[in-house]
Amino acid sequence: MFQARPSRRQALAAGATTAALLLAGPAAVAGCTASVPGSGGPDPLEGPARRAEADVALAAAVAGTHSTLAAAANALGADRAAHARALRAELHRVHPDPMPSSTVKPPPTVAPAVSPDQAVAQAALTQAMRAAQDEAAELAITLPGYRAALLASVAACCATHTAVLT
Amino acid sequence: MSPRGDREPRGTARQVPVAALQGALAAEHAAVWVYGVAGAFMPATLARRLDEATTAHQARRDATERMLMDAGVPPVPPEPGYLSPEPVTDAASALRLVITAETDAAAAWRSVVERSPADPDVRGAALEALTAAAVRATRWRQTAGTVPLTVPFPGTP
Repeated sequence: MFQARPSRRQALAAGATTAALLLAGPAAVAGCTASVPGSGGPDPLEGPARRAEADVALAAAVAGTHSTLAAAANALGADRAAHARALRAELHRVHPDPMPSSTVKPPPTVAPAVSPDQAVAQAALTQAMRAAQDEAAELAITLPGYRAALLASVAACCATHTAVLT
Repeated sequence: MSPRGDREPRGTARQVPVAALQGALAAEHAAVWVYGVAGAFMPATLARRLDEATTAHQARRDATERMLMDAGVPPVPPEPGYLSPEPVTDAASALRLVITAETDAAAAWRSVVERSPADPDVRGAALEALTAAAVRATRWRQTAGTVPLTVPFPGTP
């Protein structure tokens, strides 16, 4: 928004430059990512990806059960779906071949149970967002640059949903 | 600020992403200025939240200056003047300005996360700053009645 306006003041224009440079940054960093596990245990992004997918299902179930929570739950579900897509894209980039079946569980196919009590359902969403934020924040400290930034945004987004819900 | 200087200095000082930190510092300087301007157009009921946001940005600014000085780098000063993207004439335009400032801060801090080494000090502080800016932006969107309240990837364009 600021970036598109030529009348921006100098410091904000400098911010725009940084943002433009960043566009080139992720590819460069990802290209030299050496610490992504290529073998052994599951990729550390597998957990956040599965959690995002589970949150999409939970949000849909809550929205379908409690109309007063539908706006917040649908917005949450949309953001978590975007997280799942981005995380799966990064997983696919590093592991173009399917991972061994022993390390990948199929996603849940049963709709999550939602409490008929609206307050309880709302608390379940909040709890899911806090857990997702914690998981992403922890990985954001240790993973290589591009992945760290991706998870940092995921963590920050989950914090904004907690703020909306509480 | 030169991208080539991003990993300097090496050796004695701790490795910090200098250019990204300077960008974050510039964003914090801007945010402090923005809250000063916006406050004059906001209702008194928002005074406390404005004060808290101002204090948070001042603290972040000071901490960032210390990080840069510890790395042997002179911190960028605030601009002598700032030009807001649109005239601030009422509470609605003031809210848009603070949302923009928080969005800019989030982007700057995400850049620090991406460019800093995997350590809890710089990266942890940057993650905290990114998260705080994103949450404040969402709170101000709630106040402004702007939808959507959230963005999926705070700190990205």
